[in-house]
Amino acid sequence: MPVGYSIYIEKPSYVHQRIDPRTKLFALCTSFVLALLFNNPAYLGVLLVAVIAIGLWAKLPLKSFRAYLIYALWFLILGVLIWPFYIHQGPVVLRVGSAQFTRDGLLFGLAMGLRVGLMVTAAGVWMMSTSPQHMTLGLLRLGLPYKAGMAMSATIRFVPLINAERATIMEAQRARGLDLSRGNPFRRAVRYVAVIGPMLVQALDLAQSLALAMEARAFGARHSRTSITEIRLTRVDWYIMIGCVLLIAAAIAFRILGIGVLIRGYL
Amino acid sequence: MAEPEVVIDVDEVSYTYAPDTPLALDHVSLQIRKGDFLALLGQNGAGKTTLAKTFNGLLLPTRGSVYVGGQDTRNATVSSLAARVGYCYQNPDHQIFNTTVYREASYGPRNLGLPPNEVAARVDHALQLVDLADKKDAYPFLLGKGERQKLAVASVLAMGSPILVVDEPTTGLDLHGIRSIMTLLRQWNQIEGRTIVIITHDLHIVAEYVPRTVVMAQGKIVADGPTRSILSDGAALATTGLKPPQITRVAQRLSHHGIPPDVMTVDEMLACLRTALSSNKDARTSQEGVSDAGWLQHLH
Amino acid sequence: MGAPVVQVEGLTFRYPASDQILHGINLEINRGDFVGITGPSGAGKTTLCMCLKGLIPHVVGGTMRGRVTVRGMDTRKTEPSILAEAVAMVFQDPESQIVGLTVEEDLAFGPENLMRPARLIRDEIPKMLQTVGLIGYERRETYKLSGGQKQRIAIAAALMMEPQVLILDEPTSELDPLGKTEVFQVVRRLREEQQVTIIMVEHEVEQLADVADRIIALDRGCIVADAPPREFFHSAELFHRMEGARLPQVAELFLALEAEEFVGPADFTPYEEEAIAHLDRLLLRKRG
Repeated sequence: MPVGYSIYIEKPSYVHQRIDPRTKLFALCTSFVLALLFNNPAYLGVLLVAVIAIGLWAKLPLKSFRAYLIYALWFLILGVLIWPFYIHQGPVVLRVGSAQFTRDGLLFGLAMGLRVGLMVTAAGVWMMSTSPQHMTLGLLRLGLPYKAGMAMSATIRFVPLINAERATIMEAQRARGLDLSRGNPFRRAVRYVAVIGPMLVQALDLAQSLALAMEARAFGARHSRTSITEIRLTRVDWYIMIGCVLLIAAAIAFRILGIGVLIRGYL
Repeated sequence: MAEPEVVIDVDEVSYTYAPDTPLALDHVSLQIRKGDFLALLGQNGAGKTTLAKTFNGLLLPTRGSVYVGGQDTRNATVSSLAARVGYCYQNPDHQIFNTTVYREASYGPRNLGLPPNEVAARVDHALQLVDLADKKDAYPFLLGKGERQKLAVASVLAMGSPILVVDEPTTGLDLHGIRSIMTLLRQWNQIEGRTIVIITHDLHIVAEYVPRTVVMAQGKIVADGPTRSILSDGAALATTGLKPPQITRVAQRLSHHGIPPDVMTVDEMLACLRTALSSNKDARTSQEGVSDAGWLQHLH
Repeated sequence: MGAPVVQVEGLTFRYPASDQILHGINLEINRGDFVGITGPSGAGKTTLCMCLKGLIPHVVGGTMRGRVTVRGMDTRKTEPSILAEAVAMVFQDPESQIVGLTVEEDLAFGPENLMRPARLIRDEIPKMLQTVGLIGYERRETYKLSGGQKQRIAIAAALMMEPQVLILDEPTSELDPLGKTEVFQVVRRLREEQQVTIIMVEHEVEQLADVADRIIALDRGCIVADAPPREFFHSAELFHRMEGARLPQVAELFLALEAEEFVGPADFTPYEEEAIAHLDRLLLRKRG
């Protein structure tokens, strides 16, 4: 019944345990940059497979990729349906009435879909392989103010509670006759106030009590905080980051040379 | 004299929250009759709330059936069952969202589609019962916890359902608050003739106010009967990790003196002791003793 | 004996735009005492706790007069973080005082705020978990704990601050009977093993009578009684006046027996075992 508080899946893998969260963040950004620099579906496809491979190396179960790949599929379909209207490069392969669709147009649509899929899957792998504690700590070490870091942690900590409360409030109001199954969407949204109202009040109440409890334990007493969780950048992390920089440099070069670029002049 | 009709019939009901998880309800059968006032006891996780939620269709059994007024809950929507089974949740802040007490209490009856004057009549009556009639324009969030609790109960009472389920209405209240709510429930049952199911941990109030007790453990009903016999049944209570009220425990330790093991309140214990100890005093003193007992009422 | 660890002189308080909640509280608590506080809702028990903890006046707004001294420090003039190392508090709601995603994170929260070295904090955690009976729970996710477990974690987290005074504000009121027992067990253990002074607000008077050295009744912002349990519950008029206060059932019984002259005042007891023994003797005498 309770919902997990994060997407993180604990696994004894190298990616999980030994690679610093800052490195992983850098690798994630690299994957985004690479995704944007290519628009040939074949290249993007290879990148997607690479990301999945890293995820599998991190011992993430195959089924955890399902949600992300389904997203990718939707964007793929969308891409293939929309982009051919704008891209007219290459030989015509389909004629519907007066409209003409080219091979490159379809491939470009595929590429755009793959791009989104790639970015979403990369983000997923990052989140599934980095614990919230490490994520927060990584950001703190990169300069995030510790109070903001605490806000992040507190939010993650309370998500299952708020979720459970939403479910309870929904039940309580249904027991008083709230019916969300009939009526037009607008009417239903208005009725939903009966759930949102108490949720907001509870959230505010929670925030107030939490603030008091945190003050009681001297939160904010010093300019910074120590942490029982530790992260450290090792040689491996630096190698990975250097590798990422090289990949980006290569990708920029490719883009300039037109390699992996199906349609020049488009992102 | 015929027994009152069965208003809720739980027939071999099993329930599981997700496949491959342990049964939250395990072949439960229970009959609740019109005018019953019963307590559902058990540890957290024993299945009391799960069972209660099958009464108004919030949960549908995975096996077996629940009949409310003869109708299978599978064939009714939660909102239609709400007219027959009112369910009041434990935390009043999970319900309250209106800007005045009156509007809050009228939410339920309005949802039932009752005509405005009927709504007004029911709301006024309910607010009067909980002693909040003079606060009908008050902002609910400025009320104290005990009053918000009463408002939540009133909101459900105003729906006029013949059956009422209340989930832990006395958590976090002081003695005065507890007595207010329990007296109200007793009135709702005895004077207004409603059927009430109360989910609770507090054996003191069960001993004092609730005539029938059903004990649950691990999804099963382990005992069902008059409160008096259940609370003095050490074995059944032990399975739930609950202990009888202090005064009952004391009585049971004095059973070798002829004190009955099913003493439920201090007044009853006093009466037993008076009988056992008065052999030495003359009749006149015993009479004084009886009228003096009235002072104990002040404590309530 | 020495100086009292907590001293309250003429404390009055009102919340902004509200009536006076505390009216001239005077109180002294000695090192190692276990003080219970009881009284009806709205009597000011939580407000008093917050004054003792220093949350009033530093965090919560309102008008405070009089003085609260903890370990010789005036709460008004002392930094809240220094006060936090002297007085720790456990609140009523198990959920909103747990900050960490895992148990060890929550226990570490307080000392981390004070910038204590990570290694020292990590060493303390297993010891605290042992005190509250949750050995091995370091990596458990806090949202999966039961109410009783959460409150025990809250107690452990409070103790991680190494306070001299521990305040518990109705720690069991949201718990089921199992949870209540768990918390009282921990509190009893603390009383026996540690030097920490405990102040506990409770409605569960039967269990409170068993652990407290002394019980205070707060009614409408004033202290109306302050005595060891035996004396405290022996006062019938007190309970006439305080509508929302509970007595242990055996105390009620013995007050009634005394009123009807079946027992004398010396026989009064608020304790279950003692009551059974007294009644046993009494009934034996009648038979014999």
